[in-house]
Amino acid sequence: MFEVRFHGRGGQGAVMAAQTLAEAAVIEGNYAVAFPFFGAERRGAPVLAFTRIDAKKIYSKTQVYAPDCVVVLDDSLLDTIDVVAGLKPQGTVVINSKEKPEDIDLGKEIRTASVNATSVALEILKAPITNTAILGSFAKATGIIKIESLEEAIKSRFGEKLGEKVGERNALAARTAYENTVIGKSRGIKKLEPRKQWLPTYQEMPVGGVLVEGITEAGLIGPGSFIENKVYGWATFRPVRDREKCTMCLLCWFYCPEGTIVRISDKGDLMTNYDYCKGCGVCANECPVDAIKMVRARV
Amino acid sequence: MKIKDLPDDNLFTAGHTACPGCGVAMSIRNAIRILGKDTVVYVPASCAVVFGTTFPFGAWKVPFFHTAFENTGACLTGMKAAFEMKGKKVTAVGFAGDGGTYDIGLQSMSGAAERNDDVLYICLDNEAYMNTGIQRSGGTPFGAWTTTTPVGKKVQGNRRFKKNLADIVAAHEIPYYATLSIGHPLDFIKKVEKAMTFKGFRFLHMFTPCIPGWKMDPAKTVEVTKLAVESGMWTLYEIENGEKKITYKPGKMKRVRDYLMMQGRFRHMSDDDIKTLQMWVCKKWNLHYKEKGAPEVCEIAPPEEHHAVTEEHREMHGP
Repeated sequence: MFEVRFHGRGGQGAVMAAQTLAEAAVIEGNYAVAFPFFGAERRGAPVLAFTRIDAKKIYSKTQVYAPDCVVVLDDSLLDTIDVVAGLKPQGTVVINSKEKPEDIDLGKEIRTASVNATSVALEILKAPITNTAILGSFAKATGIIKIESLEEAIKSRFGEKLGEKVGERNALAARTAYENTVIGKSRGIKKLEPRKQWLPTYQEMPVGGVLVEGITEAGLIGPGSFIENKVYGWATFRPVRDREKCTMCLLCWFYCPEGTIVRISDKGDLMTNYDYCKGCGVCANECPVDAIKMVRARV
Repeated sequence: MKIKDLPDDNLFTAGHTACPGCGVAMSIRNAIRILGKDTVVYVPASCAVVFGTTFPFGAWKVPFFHTAFENTGACLTGMKAAFEMKGKKVTAVGFAGDGGTYDIGLQSMSGAAERNDDVLYICLDNEAYMNTGIQRSGGTPFGAWTTTTPVGKKVQGNRRFKKNLADIVAAHEIPYYATLSIGHPLDFIKKVEKAMTFKGFRFLHMFTPCIPGWKMDPAKTVEVTKLAVESGMWTLYEIENGEKKITYKPGKMKRVRDYLMMQGRFRHMSDDDIKTLQMWVCKKWNLHYKEKGAPEVCEIAPPEEHHAVTEEHREMHGP
């Protein structure tokens, strides 16, 4: 049995990728299952999806804990999530990254394939949706599936839902990524510690379930503790403000849904805190003097 | 108060997990900024409870409470009464969604309004149950796609018109009712401030676009809100002790078609359906903005160029 785990962000299509891969396996006469991990996901939050492929009927229904291959749709996930957790020693990692495999530090030396799927998707699909491109790279890296059957599966799956042309363009994205994939070995320098979280047991919780204010080993807890949750990895684009053009009308500060734009009253200036920017672009769209421009984050 | 007079401190901190460009997050952040720290917040089941308080994190820096979906009104009453017993002066605020106000929470809200309890009820209207994956609510407009009003061959989208919640709430003869839009900051600030000066049940109705639910570009949240007001899909007014006052009158009425075509949830609409909706909007427009003796405004969009769903759009947002 060949097991795959997809790491992506809500809206990138990790679930659709898992399903398309299963469909491609079925086209080749295999058995396959695909399913997502259910949680309170919003658009941009880290998500998981799984695919199992086998020549026999598949009876296993659990999540994939020891995958043969890990597919990472967004390399910003590497900062916070140990993507290689449970990966078999002879397994493969497929990453959407502009770096070569030799420059990617996964905390483990392992066979790695990398492709700049975001650029491929932006060029061919005009949107940063990387699921089909990364599948092409997966086909090249693992050889478990032929690129032709993958193209067929993409055309049928996306074509049915979004129209024939869209299906064909997604298949082209997969083919382009297939050709541009670089295979090598990742570095294993960093040690990713599991993220500390304050998760009290029910005995520790005060009556009524009140979160009390304070600081633990894991950082700030209680009211306002979301400040510990850096969401910069969600952004594909981020705003850059031209101080010369800015008239300090404060509209961007008012509209920003995140609190990315911080006002420094005593200096009469604004500061952009990219730690919390999700790259929605409302500030750039609403700026009356066009002082804000959106540029690619992490090019 | 002007924008520059608003306090710096964030009582709803950054790092919450709302979608990029979320209209609800914008409204909450600014409302709580104006309301200040002597506030207690109740949120029923909604996106706001998921992205604002995901265990063990919390974005609120004010006391926050959450129980069930249908009892915003009752909870607010109880919270206010408890603080009064303790001799503390606070503003009890409830941030309920449109599902929690139009449908599920209507009885509880009505009870609190009938008793005229001294609380502030804020309805964040994104026109469907977005948290559970876009199901139709009483606030969903005519023609809109949701998962429970799909686009089929015979019937395309929602067949019912948006419920007139304003009149239902105002019929309780409460001291203050107002509609707000995040696209009109000065009006927004003025109304939240004004709501704080009244004693009794006050109701603020906020128009909050939802990016995945409306199938649109995250950068257009504010733009679409402005266009909703300019086209008459959303009207800005207040009802103070039974007296209605328009607070912002748009210039020339914009075609509702322009508003609809910005959003994927309306893109399938046929010319007939758009005409039906335009008639509804015209009726509303005349009701709100027509002065005595003035001619009725009604502009039916000509059935020319039908905006086809572009491929870029489909890729971004689905069919």
